[in-house]
Amino acid sequence: MVGSNSNIKLRLSIRYLIAIVLLVIMVFPYLYMVLNSLADWSQVDRKLIPTKFTLRSYQWLFTGGETGITRPWIHAFFNSVFVSLVSTALMMMFAIMVAYALAKLKFRGRDSINNFVLFHMFFPAIILIIPNFLIIQKVGLFDTYWALIIPKAMSLWGIFMYTNFFKAVPDAFIEAAKLDGASDFKILYKIMMPMSKSITTVVFLFLLMERWTELLWDMIVVRSDGMLTLNVLLSQMFGPYQSYPGPMYAGAVMLTLPIIILFIIFGKKFQEGMQFNLK
Amino acid sequence: MIEKNNNRLGWLFASPYLIFSTVFFLGPLIWSLYLSFTNWDLISPTYDFVGFKNFTKALGTPGVRSAFWVTYKFMIVFVPIVTAMSLFVAVIVKGLPKLKTVFLIGFFLPYLSSGVVASLIVKGFLSHTSPVQTFLRDRLGLDIDWLGGSFSALFVVAMIMAWKFTGYYALILTSGLESIDQEVYEAAAIDGVKDSQRFWKITLPLLYPAIYTTLILSFGATFGIFTEVYQLTGGGPNYATNTWQMEIYSQAFKNLQAGYASAIAIMAAVATFISIFVIRKILEMWGKRNGWV
Repeated sequence: MVGSNSNIKLRLSIRYLIAIVLLVIMVFPYLYMVLNSLADWSQVDRKLIPTKFTLRSYQWLFTGGETGITRPWIHAFFNSVFVSLVSTALMMMFAIMVAYALAKLKFRGRDSINNFVLFHMFFPAIILIIPNFLIIQKVGLFDTYWALIIPKAMSLWGIFMYTNFFKAVPDAFIEAAKLDGASDFKILYKIMMPMSKSITTVVFLFLLMERWTELLWDMIVVRSDGMLTLNVLLSQMFGPYQSYPGPMYAGAVMLTLPIIILFIIFGKKFQEGMQFNLK
Repeated sequence: MIEKNNNRLGWLFASPYLIFSTVFFLGPLIWSLYLSFTNWDLISPTYDFVGFKNFTKALGTPGVRSAFWVTYKFMIVFVPIVTAMSLFVAVIVKGLPKLKTVFLIGFFLPYLSSGVVASLIVKGFLSHTSPVQTFLRDRLGLDIDWLGGSFSALFVVAMIMAWKFTGYYALILTSGLESIDQEVYEAAAIDGVKDSQRFWKITLPLLYPAIYTTLILSFGATFGIFTEVYQLTGGGPNYATNTWQMEIYSQAFKNLQAGYASAIAIMAAVATFISIFVIRKILEMWGKRNGWV
């Protein structure tokens, strides 16, 4: 490992070069998507880098779309935003509450619940899709927002992450606050939450991303045009017959861009949180 | 007094989970066991009990047989590729003095893609008129029907998944690599460990926990493949990419065979459970045998 200074520098620049080339390759599909969404329709999927550009694909997306309702794409976009945000907010809220009980409240049955959460988390979820669909149908929630939100309101992984994090918080903090007369709700809100900012960023982004890109569940529990999420609409409109390749890429951008922007905004915090998560 | 209060509070705080898991986990579990012994078609008001007929029937169909094998085929292709790619990224990015976070976040971006989007892009990219296909055809004389061949279709789906997961696993491996103290390498150099042996003798043993994590995650991911297959191949050609989820979806929601599909779902869960258990044991044995754990 002992090398001259210039040798080390050379090694480092080679590593940077490789890293940049790799990164370009990995991000290329996104680049291809964005370029094709802006390309003239005669060039879509015909050139690696298009040369003629137009906004026609986006125009088609925002004004046309040919389903039972007007402006289906904008409709689906807001469906996705609404469903993902509400679902994720509930998952976060419940995960924090349950994890606080499992990590910091000593009550009878806690160990059993803890074990059960782990069992639930590692249980192959594949078996649940048919009966859960039937439950939704039986209670009359088929084709409603509730069908998209309620069964997706609890994250085992979220509970697991927060439980581990809360366990690492010294009990002394909580005991001190209790002596000052703080209630458990207050401790959770005023002490635990501010301490867990970085893990909250990680959990929130992961859960939101997962909810935003869900296909199977969202596809089977709603049917009418006005209820579809963006991911499902994209999947159905551009199935086997790609009659509108340009708008297909524009729709893909519409689905991908918000989540990427969010990650870039929270990027630094996300990476910090991951560091904890991986230890 | 405090104990009692804690008891009530504990159950109160845990109650959302307890209610949820009763309604959407325990109840459904029993229900699907029950359904698997019926011939219910999702619509008729009545149905009959058919015993184990659904299970015996399933074992003989190409759909279920392929679902069983396709999962392991995906493993053989996907796991080595994604492991090699993420290790390579981690080795390159680890300890870079500048822009390390930018790189790590950049490599992570594919993980954010919807399976639908990734599939649509790949479909366009491999369509007849696409630059790649035109190049292969006109310059190299290769006319490949990527999604029409059994192996190539499976390979395309595995590559989409590798693209998606590389950055995520690289993040785990990078932090594993960075937790290895530089002094260990220096001490080893003094003890006469050659540069060529460094990876096998020092890096791999110390990286084992991180590699174990990524391997478990990637093996696990192969059991959940649905979106890419649904969007790109529909399980074809000739069942070559027909995963468990795809088979269950087709039987339950296309053919409306709720009872039969429940039986398949139970078989899938059992296969998944046993496979993951065996894979875990093998990985742990591998670590113990070499004295890494």
